[in-house]
Amino acid sequence: MILQIDDYSLDYATRAGPRRVLDGVSLSIAAGEVLGLVGESGSGKTSLAWAIMRALPGNARESGGAIRLAGQDLRGLGGAALRAIRGKRIGMVFQDPATSLNPTLTLGRQLTEVLERHQGLSRADAWRAGTCLLARVELRDPAAMMRRYPHEVSGGEKQRVVIATAFACRPELILFDEPTTALDVITGARILDLFARLRRETGVAGLYISHDLSLVARVADRVAVLEQGRIVEEAPPARLFTAPRDAYTRRLITAVPHPDRRLVEDAPGGAALLDLRGITVRYGRAGLFARRRPAAVRGVSLEVRAGEILGLVGESGSGKSSIARAATGLAAFQGSLALDGRPVAAMDRAYRRAVQIVFQHPDSSLNPRHSVAQLLARPLRLYGGDLAEIPRLLEQVRLPADYARRYPHQLSGGEKQRVAIARAFAARPRLVICDEITAALDVSVQAAVIELLLELRRAHGTAYLFITHDLNLVRQIVHRIAVMRAGELVDLLPAAALPTARTHPYTRELMDACPAPIG
Amino acid sequence: MIRRLLRTPQGAIGVVLLALVALACVFGPALAPRDPEALDFLGRFHPPGAGHWLGADQLGRDVLSRLLVGARTTVPLALLATLLGTLSGAVLGTLSAYLGGRWDEAIMRTVDAVMAVPGLLLALLIASTLGKSGGNAMIAVAVAFVPGMTRVTRSVALAARRQDYVAAAIARGEGGAWIVLREMLPNVAAPVVIETTIRVSFAVMLFATLSFLGLGAQPPSSEWGLMVAEARRFLHQAPWMIAAPGGAIALTAIGFNLLGDGLRDALNPRDER
Repeated sequence: MILQIDDYSLDYATRAGPRRVLDGVSLSIAAGEVLGLVGESGSGKTSLAWAIMRALPGNARESGGAIRLAGQDLRGLGGAALRAIRGKRIGMVFQDPATSLNPTLTLGRQLTEVLERHQGLSRADAWRAGTCLLARVELRDPAAMMRRYPHEVSGGEKQRVVIATAFACRPELILFDEPTTALDVITGARILDLFARLRRETGVAGLYISHDLSLVARVADRVAVLEQGRIVEEAPPARLFTAPRDAYTRRLITAVPHPDRRLVEDAPGGAALLDLRGITVRYGRAGLFARRRPAAVRGVSLEVRAGEILGLVGESGSGKSSIARAATGLAAFQGSLALDGRPVAAMDRAYRRAVQIVFQHPDSSLNPRHSVAQLLARPLRLYGGDLAEIPRLLEQVRLPADYARRYPHQLSGGEKQRVAIARAFAARPRLVICDEITAALDVSVQAAVIELLLELRRAHGTAYLFITHDLNLVRQIVHRIAVMRAGELVDLLPAAALPTARTHPYTRELMDACPAPIG
Repeated sequence: MIRRLLRTPQGAIGVVLLALVALACVFGPALAPRDPEALDFLGRFHPPGAGHWLGADQLGRDVLSRLLVGARTTVPLALLATLLGTLSGAVLGTLSAYLGGRWDEAIMRTVDAVMAVPGLLLALLIASTLGKSGGNAMIAVAVAFVPGMTRVTRSVALAARRQDYVAAAIARGEGGAWIVLREMLPNVAAPVVIETTIRVSFAVMLFATLSFLGLGAQPPSSEWGLMVAEARRFLHQAPWMIAAPGGAIALTAIGFNLLGDGLRDALNPRDER
């Protein structure tokens, strides 16, 4: 066994007393095997990775168990012995390559550091070896890449450099902590292909941590499910996803979006509610010496029909959020807007009331200094409404009425997003723009939020412009799909026609990159 | 909120110190053991002891009594000047961050220009233009504080400007005043509060300087800064004369600084401990 964890428990000491993070975790990884570790946020999966790396925060208390790397218990080792192991025998790939690389050092310097330290190579030898390593992770022009700084390369390229560093000393074990979460779908899929190839070549063992079940199914030989610090089930992915034994696993798997499981059956036809014509969005202004940045959206025309759910998909930087910003008056644009066929000259109160927006991060979209009651009172004051409606608004999003007195930081991520939805619906809108509203949420919470949105739509007949990068999710709920790439609309077709229709090659690429549905 | 403030050690000490200062401000004349303006030529430079707890000055006046009476002319004025200056600076900085673009440039370059003039010089200029009086000195100190405060607030407000709750408010059709005062300002409050409390001590010193130059409080007032200025001449002869008002200023400043630290923790709604 490369890694053997026996009955390992971990607590964090807080002022409110010890909080259990890992509870009797046992798992093992054989040579050349990849174990997937799946869990929702707060399940302790990242704490486990840091426990293996022996880099726990100061308030961590280990109450028992052992972590063995090839038979040697890591828990008893001191600083020097651990430094000899980290980077040499255990490599790690982090979630966000933008923050895991030092912005003041060249990529080459960061890569050669491990080689010089652990393999005793000279600076010149390490540089040559590093160039070869970058070539192995399929980076074009590795010699030039070595001399670049992190800000000069894309997110996918950065993650490749991090992977090259992790593989540099041919470690026995590599820990992957959500390595593709910060990347967009297509880049993430390519990183996974690279990982599969490197694994075949080197036979390294891996611990692959993720919240995304379908992603784990693609890379892992066995999958362990972590629920609140406890491993509830462990099985090969094929078995786990077809015949889950544990109730929690079952719940997780049914929460994963599946394009064939349609959640919306009706087919609203009808007139255009919001009509966007030739929308062009540009950010920044031309300076004296700087030329203006290229347009984020170029001449996009799109209509959302009454009561319809329109999905808007594309990778990051494709301009989907800019459409939302233009339609809500947050970004200046050229082109025209029409609501119910009447052109919108200025964004007046009636328009703003009819078109509401819910943002991706409820942490940022709810003012931390306002209580829930204050947050919900604003749209009621602005658009007319009775403050006595607040308990009903909360009840509508299935939150208890006494939540009105709470502040956002006292709520969980899902609850915060429900408050944001309640705020949008307080205006009694006709169209709600949902900008990646479930991207920051766990799958089970995502499923509950989607269900809530559909229920609100049944009750109020609201139309949605649903912006996301998750094709599986979008195919479950939308009537039509619009695909954007580099600021342009490349496809607009009914959701049902997506698998069969002649689509733009980019749409095809996006579908292929999307993890295969499970369950 | 008060309970949370008192639970931090800094907050508790700060509150106690400032309570003492406030006590002196309110009941100072009643608490004073002697008449602060009673001259006693035989008791000139009387060292601290039984008769005069903190000694007597060059005219034989009781330093403790002068200190207690002087609190009233020193602390409220400094506090008011600081509040006026930092509040306008905070609003201006937040407004600048909210408006952005050309407006931001215009406001900040003007602020930079004002900042280029040293604070004391600016205060001197204003105080001498408007005339000698405590009120005018207050305005002068407040104006001198605005540019620095605008800069500090704007840097924090720029981060708040990018938050989605500001975007949500704009999308909702809120007015500029609401967004600046109710959405953004409370979220930049922490550094503003800390900066304010630190500046109270500056304000006390600035008032003292103005008084020393003859533009603030006038003798025989027992404003603390003026007392320090007068005692300077007798530093070797009667060090207690400068130590007492100097210590009072220092304790007030420390009190406000500690209060600032405590407030920063108590004002943070995220901190649930």
